This record gives sequence, C-alpha cells and structure tokens, in this order.
Amino acid sequence: MEKKKGMSLLDKQSRAGWIFLAPATLMIAVMSFWPMFSAFLTSLKTGSSASMEWASPIFYNYTRMFADQLFLRSVGNTFLYLAIQVPIMLVLAILLAQLLNNKDLKLKGFFRTCVFLPCATALVSYSLIFKSLFATEGLINTVLVNLGILSENYNFLGNSTSAKAVIIIALIWRWTGYNMVFYLAGLQNIEYSVYEAAKIDGANGWKTFWGITVPLLKPTIIMTFIMSINGTLQLFDESVNLTNGGPAFSTITMSHYIYNNTFGTGVANFGYATAMAFFVFIMVGILALINMKVGDTRD
Amino acid sequence: MKKKLISMLLAGTMVLSLAACGGGSADGGDAGDGEDAGAAEMGTSDDENTLTVAAWDPNFNIPALEAAAADYKENVNPDFVLDIKEQSGSSDVETAITTAASSGKYENLPDMVLFQDHWIQKYVADYPDAWQNVDDIDINWDDFYAEKLDYSTIDGVHYGVPVDGGTVIMAYRVDLLDEAGYSMDDMKGITWEKFIEVGKAVKEKTGKALLCMNSDGNDLMYMMLQAEGVSQFKDGKPDITGNDKVKEIVELVVEMVKEEILLLPNSWSDYTDKAIQGDQVAGVMNGNWIIPTIQAVEANNGKWEITTMPTLTGEEGYASNGGSSLYITANCKKTDLAKDFLAYTFGKSTVTYDNALKNGGVVSTYIPAGKSEVYNEGVAFFNDTPIYAQISEMGSHVQTIEQSPYHYTCREKLGAAVINIVNGGDVDEELKNAEDQLNFEMGN
Repeated sequence: MEKKKGMSLLDKQSRAGWIFLAPATLMIAVMSFWPMFSAFLTSLKTGSSASMEWASPIFYNYTRMFADQLFLRSVGNTFLYLAIQVPIMLVLAILLAQLLNNKDLKLKGFFRTCVFLPCATALVSYSLIFKSLFATEGLINTVLVNLGILSENYNFLGNSTSAKAVIIIALIWRWTGYNMVFYLAGLQNIEYSVYEAAKIDGANGWKTFWGITVPLLKPTIIMTFIMSINGTLQLFDESVNLTNGGPAFSTITMSHYIYNNTFGTGVANFGYATAMAFFVFIMVGILALINMKVGDTRD
Repeated sequence: MKKKLISMLLAGTMVLSLAACGGGSADGGDAGDGEDAGAAEMGTSDDENTLTVAAWDPNFNIPALEAAAADYKENVNPDFVLDIKEQSGSSDVETAITTAASSGKYENLPDMVLFQDHWIQKYVADYPDAWQNVDDIDINWDDFYAEKLDYSTIDGVHYGVPVDGGTVIMAYRVDLLDEAGYSMDDMKGITWEKFIEVGKAVKEKTGKALLCMNSDGNDLMYMMLQAEGVSQFKDGKPDITGNDKVKEIVELVVEMVKEEILLLPNSWSDYTDKAIQGDQVAGVMNGNWIIPTIQAVEANNGKWEITTMPTLTGEEGYASNGGSSLYITANCKKTDLAKDFLAYTFGKSTVTYDNALKNGGVVSTYIPAGKSEVYNEGVAFFNDTPIYAQISEMGSHVQTIEQSPYHYTCREKLGAAVINIVNGGDVDEELKNAEDQLNFEMGN
C-alpha cells in the first residue's frame, strides 16, 4: 500500500540520476550527434558550397573516393605511419615505463618529467621545430656533415622516403612519453608482492616481464593501442606543418587531404570532404572493434 | 573561520570569471561596429560615409588602400572613412569568403574584399550571389592592361577594380653575372637554352643558382607558358598531354633542377628567407610583388637589376603572376559610394597610385600611372634603374591566355609532376598522371 503513495527510494534515485545525466546528454546530442547527422547529409551532396544538391547516384561521393588516386595515397601514407610508428612507440613506452618504475632508481621524478615533457609542446610548434631541425641548412644536417656522415647537406624534407621518416621520428618523440604515463600508472597497480613471489620461484626479468607485466598491463596496452590508432588515423598537424604534404603529396595524410578539399586549397568541396571524413570514422570504428575483440579477456 | 574565508574567495573568483565570460560575449556581439573591434572581425558599418574592406599585407596592399582613402577623403568626400579589416594572410580573406558564401551569411563580409585574381573565376562560378558587378562604374577600362582585366571579367561583365599587378620580372644579381663573364645586356631576350648556359657558368664561378621557386607552389611553369602565350587549359579542359609546349617547359625545368641552376626549396618561407634572402641565388623570377622580399637584404643594395623573361624562341618574355583586385560584396549597401570611391581612386587617380608605390611598393596596372614622375625615378637598390616604369611597360605586353577556376589545382599537380620527374619518373607518364588527376578534380 505504501509503495503506491509515492515513488520508492530506488525510483527517486533513478530519477535523480536521469536529471543529472540530462544536461550532458542533451549537450552531446546537440553539439555532437546533430552535427554528425547533418555532416552525413552533406556527404550525400555535391556542387558549389553555396547551393549544394543531392548527388546522383546518392553515394557518388563515397564511390568517388575509391577512384581518387590522391586519397588512396593519403590512406596508404596514414597506414604506413600507423604500421611503423605505433609498434615502435608502444614498445619504447613500455620499456621506458619499466625502467622508470624501478624502485631503486634515483631522480625518478626528473626522468619521468623529461620523458613526458614533449607532450607539453603544442603540435604546431613541435612540427615547426622538427621542420627547422631537418631543414637543408638545419641542425641535423650541420651535425651530420661535421661528423663526416654526410658529404653535403641533404634535403630531408624534399625526398619522399626521408620526409616520411622524419614524420615518424617526430611522432615517436612527441607521443612516447604520453603513452609511457599510462603504462607507469598501470605498473603501479601491480602489487609488488606478485613480483616478489615470482622472484622466489626463480623467474628472471625476461620471464616476469612476459609472464606478469604484460598480462596484467593488457587493458592498458589495449587502451593505448586504440588511442594511438585513432590518433594516427587523424594525423594532421605534422603533415600540414612539417612537410605540407610534400614533396609531391608523398607524405600527405587523410585528414590533411580532407582539409585541402575544404579550406586548405580553397576549393570548398564540402560534400566530398565530409564523405571522406565518414570513411575515416568508419575505419577508426572497425579498427577499434577488432582491437577490443582481440583484447577481450572474457570467455 | 579559515574554511569560510577560502570558500568566500572561491565563490568570489567564480562570480568574477562568470562576469568576464558574459562581458566577452557581449563584446563579440557588435562585430564590425567600431574600429576597435578585433582585427579578424569583418562586416559593414552603419555610417553612411564609411566603407569596410578586408586586406592582408601591412607592408604592401594596406598602404595602397590607405593611399586611396586619403586621396578620396582629400579630393572628394571629407567625411569619408575607409575601415581596413586587416587579416593575417591572403588565405584568411579566402576562408572568410568561402565560409560566408557557403552559409549564405553575407553579413559577415565587409563592403569590399581584396583577393588574388586567380580566385574570382571560381568565386563567381560557385557563389554568383555573393558579388555585385561593377559594369556601370565610371572607369575607362582601356586604361588597364587587357590581360589583367581578363581575370575579373566574366562573360563580359566586370566584377573587380584592379589594385596591383603581377607583371613578372626576371631579376639578376649583376655582380654575380659579371663574375661569370656576363652582363645584363646578355640576358635580355634570350632563349632558355642560353639561360641554362649562363646558369652553368654562374654555378661554376659563384656556386649560386640562377633561379629558384618553392616546390609546393611552383608557379614557374605557368609563367613560362604565359610568356609563350600558351595556357594549361583549352576550352575549359586541361591541355597538358596534348600540349607540346607544356612538355618542353617541364623538361626545361627538370633539366635546370638537375644542373642545380634552379633551386626548389620545400616551402614558401624557405624560398623567401633561405633562397632569396639567404643569398643562395643570382636570379629571381616572379610577380613584381617579390621585389620587397629582394630589397630586404641591405647588403645587396645596388647589385640587382631587372629585365624580361627568357623564352623558348629567344624573344623577350612577358607574363603575369598574382596581383589582386577589389571586389564589392553582396553585403555592401552603399554600392554607389563604393563604386565612386573605386572609380576615383584605383580607376584613374595617379595620386593614389604614386602613393601606393611609394608607401607599399604596389605597382599599378593602370597604364597612365606608369608615366608619372614617381614611376620614372631610379631605384637605388636596383642600381638606379627606373624599374617601376620598366615593369609598367612590360605589363602592357603580357598576352591574355585562357584562365580557369582550377588554376591552383593545376599548379599543384604540375608541381608534383616536376618533383616526380626529377626523382626519376617518366615525363609522359607523370604529365598524364597530372592531367588525369586534374580532370578527376574538375569532374571531367
């Protein structure tokens, strides 16, 4: 009888929960989901950006990108960065984290700050710094020539292979520390007694690393993997500021190409650009899904 | 007690910061109303004697606009105010136009905008409602170079009033040429073959290249083709693989790169700061707006001189690259004032043009301007030669070639082709690729 009078405690709590959730949900819907939906509509249109019309066939922009040599090249470039940079970076990050997690290490705070510091620099400024470092008259060239490794100044950013390498080096420098912090946090959650037990059982460093550290860090590893893949697929600042996509579009990334199709080269091709953006979105989704399935520990 | 104090302080700062937020948005509301609105704010003014205009270069086109405003104020309308909305670069003006026109919010545009001529064809095609034509303006169009007007005239209708020209100069370091055993007379009206021969000698004697251009915005092919009277487009379609001149010129460019006569720095800033101002070259070829960049190096005072471009046949070459005009936007309600201002100043006033040249180095495309005293004075930096009269004269010879809304796309693709050929690609194949990609983007 009493229950019918008013709401139960549970109902009240649940209502309070929804009220707290509502503002954020509403804002996400208005600020994020609605623009996404209207971007999808835009991606189905073509023509001058002032008077866009429905494309015919309706998925014209989506089929068009697979015939676009430049877009395919930008996809290739992005995946090349992904395939080379992400593994190197994550392995480095985990090794550094392992080193810096050492209980007997002195000046730990100092070293951690040093490794993390690159993440405090803005993307544009660090890209410009790398650009001047690797310029034909830049520091790297001067050092290499004076050491006798190079006979004359080399145009690193003017050659497609070396320009890609410079971008990868820059990315590793910028993001290793960032990922290391996650691993450090993960490592600190592992009880020291587990290592002690392993030590008593006679496991060496290599064995404890693969037998204890990696399995217990698995959720962190998966998270950093997803974040890195996501970040690399949306790579933009380095391509724009470090090489401007050059030489001859050989370092251009997907996001940079999308930007070029809107404001970058002033062509204002919004329909086609949003279609490509959705393609990237779908790819990120698929890759994240694979990653989560592979990393799923439940049976 | 202490806790109370801290919470009071916290509450206080929050209130303050909220107030600051409110103040900020209130300020943002009256965009373009007063002169103290932020530099990026555009829009028009309510005052009937005030025109707003967007421009970007405080050392070049802004002094020219200021000269025009002063001229009009002194001689026509003493109440006139030209409110210049300074942008940080030409691309900001382009982005503002694209954004305003795409959303149909023309009220975000100023009364007039200044931008580079290559854009207008695309802007009129894409956003026909964003512009007011100036067909009935009181200007004698015959006083301007036909080539210059060709950009801003679409289907016979005039849309823009020319401000600065892009007449191409070929500037040489006389002292370095001399070291290699050549003089300025040897460089006038020569073939590109002869240019390469001189380039080799200069490279050998002085170690410097005779030409340079940034590889990510390579205008060389466009300029060299225009000097031949040839376009990269024919009847609105790319004309690259079927055009022998394009191939010939691309091969010349590649040869010059391989002989190290032509430097291709990676970016615009490397081109201006390292190649030109870093003294790596003995020659510069570009629109005359490159002159202030050359002049920035005090140590080279008196060592430069200019002449016409080399051509394939050895005749004197004339081309034009860049240059901008003023366009009246759909947002302008004071069209008569705007037209009167443009007609009086950039349409016929040598006072405006003389001051634009003196204060900003802006070289006019108005033919009578070239006859004024200011234009005929010797310029110390260029060995006391009257370069501005020279440029003005050269400008009248530039041939009109077919223009396309896809000018910059074409430049991008041809520039990439040159890099690929230098790196070992096949000429015919790379040109075919460039043409295919261009066709793809044009939707052909």
